[in-house]
Amino acid sequence: MSEVRTLIVDDSSVMRKIVERSLRQAGLDPLVVYEAGNGAEGLDMLKAKQVDLILSDINMPSMDGLEFLRQIKAQNLAPGVPVVMITTESSEEHVKQAILAGARGYIRKPFTAEQVKERVLSLLHAA
Amino acid sequence: MLLNGARGAALLRVRGGGKNEMEHTMAVSLRESVQLVSDPRNLDASVEEVFQLMLGVDCRRDGVFVLDEQQSVTAVVGFGGLLSGACVFKSGSSAAMKIAAHMTGMEFSEIDDTVKDGIGELCNMLAGAWKGKVPNLAANCGLSVPAVITGRDYHLHVQAPEFKLNHTYRFDDASFEVTIICDGLQ
Repeated sequence: MSEVRTLIVDDSSVMRKIVERSLRQAGLDPLVVYEAGNGAEGLDMLKAKQVDLILSDINMPSMDGLEFLRQIKAQNLAPGVPVVMITTESSEEHVKQAILAGARGYIRKPFTAEQVKERVLSLLHAA
Repeated sequence: MLLNGARGAALLRVRGGGKNEMEHTMAVSLRESVQLVSDPRNLDASVEEVFQLMLGVDCRRDGVFVLDEQQSVTAVVGFGGLLSGACVFKSGSSAAMKIAAHMTGMEFSEIDDTVKDGIGELCNMLAGAWKGKVPNLAANCGLSVPAVITGRDYHLHVQAPEFKLNHTYRFDDASFEVTIICDGLQ
């Protein structure tokens, strides 16, 4: 697999590290990781870097994950790049809101590396 | 320690979906399913799931929580919406560092920002897993971002809760306490 440039957006630095570790366990190697602590930082990162994959939390201060998705679409940032939400919010309503806002995948916390692998690899292969 | 800030933030989140979501929320009630919501097995299953999946350790229910260290770490995640209250995690500093070490693969000798961040995220996942056990709760109850308190000689007090679950758990030689406090149910 060629280099996968990934933006991980989560207000928890520990969770960003866990997600990165899961991606490496999923076989995404070489992996280039960019990190952001909320949606606004994520948008800034997308204006500065090209990425192949975006993984984002929903509940974050300043700008949450759903608004981040809406802004990506509104500002036409990262067109065609799959966005996967990784969040504790697991109801059908939350999934529906995320899909409507532009998410292509949804992973509920807590998760296994196998779940991350399954969702992410299928999206990358389809992209 | 006051819960109002965390609870208010969670309420704002659950109301963030606009008019249609509010109409949906108002049509649903948890009153009739209070037995299901307060089922203690949901909390045990949530704790075991989070520790198994995110830390790779088996965690089991234990007796009474005894804090034998001066410094403790408490994380609070507020619930807002059909249920208001909070999920509270509490442990001594050594258990908190051990949990953070399992989460990150790093070693810790003090309660630094990474440990606090890890414990806050752990509490967030516990709260999310717990509310996810009841479908109406999962859909109509928001979570606040975690607040983490460290120190000694502090006490959490909630006046006349609707119900309270307070369980102690153990993994390896570390123990911790998880409390679900519900002070409002619609």
